[in-house]
Amino acid sequence: MNGQPSPRLLWFMSGSIGLITLPHAWHMPPLLIGFFGLMWLWRLLAISRPAWLPNRLGLFALTLAGIGLAYSQHRGVFGRDAGTGLFVVALGLKLLEIHGKRDVYVIVYLAFLVAATQFLYEESILMALYILLVCTVLLATLVTQNSVSPQTVPALKTAATLIVQALPITAVLFVLFPRLEAPRWSWLDADNQAKSGLSDTLEPGSIAELSLSAELVFRVKFDGDLPPPGQRYWRGPVYTLFDGSAWKAAPALFRAANPDQPVFDGKAYDYTLMMEPQKQNWVFALELPSAFPAGLRRNELYQLTTNKNPGDRAEYRISSVPSYNTGGINPAERRESLQLPGKPSERIRSLIAQLRGAEASPEALIANLLQHFHRENFRYTLNPEPMPERQVETFLFERRAGFCSHYATAFVYLLRAAEIPARVVGGYQGGRFNTVGGFLEIRQADAHAWAEVWLDGKGWVRFDPTAAIAPERIEQGVNVDLQIASGAANFSPIQFDAKTLTWLQRSQQLWQNVDYQWQRWVINYDTDNQKALLQNLGIDDFVKLGYWLLLSVGGFSGLLAWRLLRPNRRRRDPVLQAYRQFCGKLRKAGVDFGPGDGPQTLAQRAKAVRPDLADTIERIVAVFIRLRYEPSAEAGDLRVLKTLIGSLRV
Amino acid sequence: MPTQRGLAFVLLIVLLLLVGFVYSNNLAYLLGFLLASIFFVAILHSFKSLAGLTVRAGRQPAVFAGQAGAFNFQIGNPGRHSRYAVHLALQSELAIGLAPAETRTATLYQTTARRGWLQPQTLTVSSLYPLGLFRAWAPLRFDNPLLVYPKPAKRQLPFPESGDGQVAQGLSRRQGDEFYGLRPYQRGDAIRQIHWKTFAKGQGVFSKQYAGAGSSELWLDYQQAPGHNSEERLSQLCRWIVDAEKAGLRYGLVLPNLRVPPDTGAAHYRQCLQALALF
Repeated sequence: MNGQPSPRLLWFMSGSIGLITLPHAWHMPPLLIGFFGLMWLWRLLAISRPAWLPNRLGLFALTLAGIGLAYSQHRGVFGRDAGTGLFVVALGLKLLEIHGKRDVYVIVYLAFLVAATQFLYEESILMALYILLVCTVLLATLVTQNSVSPQTVPALKTAATLIVQALPITAVLFVLFPRLEAPRWSWLDADNQAKSGLSDTLEPGSIAELSLSAELVFRVKFDGDLPPPGQRYWRGPVYTLFDGSAWKAAPALFRAANPDQPVFDGKAYDYTLMMEPQKQNWVFALELPSAFPAGLRRNELYQLTTNKNPGDRAEYRISSVPSYNTGGINPAERRESLQLPGKPSERIRSLIAQLRGAEASPEALIANLLQHFHRENFRYTLNPEPMPERQVETFLFERRAGFCSHYATAFVYLLRAAEIPARVVGGYQGGRFNTVGGFLEIRQADAHAWAEVWLDGKGWVRFDPTAAIAPERIEQGVNVDLQIASGAANFSPIQFDAKTLTWLQRSQQLWQNVDYQWQRWVINYDTDNQKALLQNLGIDDFVKLGYWLLLSVGGFSGLLAWRLLRPNRRRRDPVLQAYRQFCGKLRKAGVDFGPGDGPQTLAQRAKAVRPDLADTIERIVAVFIRLRYEPSAEAGDLRVLKTLIGSLRV
Repeated sequence: MPTQRGLAFVLLIVLLLLVGFVYSNNLAYLLGFLLASIFFVAILHSFKSLAGLTVRAGRQPAVFAGQAGAFNFQIGNPGRHSRYAVHLALQSELAIGLAPAETRTATLYQTTARRGWLQPQTLTVSSLYPLGLFRAWAPLRFDNPLLVYPKPAKRQLPFPESGDGQVAQGLSRRQGDEFYGLRPYQRGDAIRQIHWKTFAKGQGVFSKQYAGAGSSELWLDYQQAPGHNSEERLSQLCRWIVDAEKAGLRYGLVLPNLRVPPDTGAAHYRQCLQALALF
């Protein structure tokens, strides 16, 4: 049965191979994907014209070219991109060389590997469904290969059946199969693509760019109530060093620890935070995190950092208390929080003097400053005119228009000039509530900067000068879609009322919820999750786990086996069954009859052999004839027939 | 029973799980688990691809030793599902597909070397369906022997002398004979002996009788057959029977333990050859 495969098989195979490689086109070097495309087209054309296939020498040359190409694009064979490239090139080359069954299998197996590499690039639910679809076609290729007279639809059906029947066992294996934490090998690390997000320098313009991005940063599911919108500050990097135009985050390492630990008081919020892949290892916890898992660390700036790869999606259980007192300040920190690039100008100093007024307390100054922003026609805009020089003064005295980082910068600058320790805090504010899934989605557009002032007896206290100008920014968040549409900031209240959501919004939320659950339970299922889940099930060691695995896989297989392999039961006629029993009894009694004899003939012979039973036999035959051939038969007749036959003693 | 491809499939699964492990990629794991489950499920499907098939041995025509013996089997698919690939192997192989409730006759060949009854070897019914990862098979033994006649001798020796001293010289001799008369047709008369003219006139079926053939009967005697051993003699006798039947002669067979009176026709022919085969 070897030899050239049938055209149908080739179509099947080429189709599935094309489908499997298609998504790679988005991230593979164009030369490699082009090479593959060429091979694929060649194969496609050669289905009807086998003579067009390259000979041995041509194939060899092509192989060399392919290897050279793969190597030149990636300088090696290891790592995600290089490995994928190699697989795809190999797949393309193998397509041109199909001599028998074996080659078909090699190609299909290679295709499965290429399908798996696809997941290293994208893990969305849609991609998973797509790959599942392609796998069906790949399996159908094998089914076609193993059928005597292949047909397209039954082959696809068989493949789909196989997959559907395999799914329960797959799920069991997925949940129970022990996940081991793989060591991280640097050469395997995916080259992190440019990801937007907060960085450790804050230029006033940078947040404006983020404000136009709908990219998801993290999602939060609260165990109980949500904190009110005004408290949804997700703490990120703390910026302490100002050079006149940009802020730099102070390195958290090697800092002297604060003399006091923060004291929490009031309601704590427990939540699950799922970070999307990031550049930095920052975890944006609600201010201020009080309890967090072991892999996280709260640095001296009260920011959470993780020791995991920030490029991986990760989930954390965190508790935060919005009401806190961080206590004292150490001298180094105080010095750092008063740092200014050069001496403040005369105008600034007179503004401070004016704001300070009769009272000298920092609280009064802050209140006056916020009043000043509110009163003096300061505006909130996402596209202010650039302020290249003397930024703070230009903003305070001329433009009076900016967004959160401008206000936070000016606010902190003024306080520092007034000898009050202050700093800028970056992070996210707000978030959009998904009513379907019951979680908050925080996007890049929610990026925010606010200020923190150290007050005696209160510790570091948050002030958000933007709230003084545009309280709706804090209360309602940013409407990203509208901003992108108009290119400017535009606030519209975001409805939390499910009834007023349009069906479009609802389906969007539904989809986001599906995606969230997918990320939580499938993509993000790891050693920790597994341990927690298994402990809930009462599995605490490998022996028990083994039993569970065996039991559930065996159970499902057994169920399936029963469904698949039970004999094709024919519907039995109970009347005929009873009659057969009757015949059996007569045979035992020595009545001789053939298979063609009707009931009346049978009765005649039986009566001749066993006159003693003649009465019963006659009645049985009469009931049988009525049941079988007359429409007047009643349900009770069957019971009579059975009793009569049962009473027949031979 | 996993095939080589099945084992390669296991390797593929291991590779996928390895990718999942190294990159901590749950979807690669998932794909690996899916293929592993398909591997399990495929076992059941392989079994199902054969389960319920009915195989019955059919009747088979006798052959001469050295010819390929053809065994007929009736393969039936009583179920409601199509069987896309059923592989049958005796000495020859055959792959068939069966529609639901279809029964087909499959003819498989086996070489014959010796005369006598030949039992079919074990018939292996197998299937690689659906994925070729597993081979389900069932060895079936049938008590359904095929009769093998001796191999006719190559040399065309003249017929032995008959008891009345005449030597039957086969075809040439018979053609030289004169037409002697008609007698009512008897079962076993050769078709070419039928006198078609009388039949066409509606006077009944008559057989032509020739002077030579009518009077002389050919006796094929084991003792008179040349050969160094019994097999060679039987082989020669077989040759004579074949030739005599072709020539339409009346011939009888004498074996040490059996005596078949002279006659002609298919049944007689078979009877003689069977006697040789089972001698």
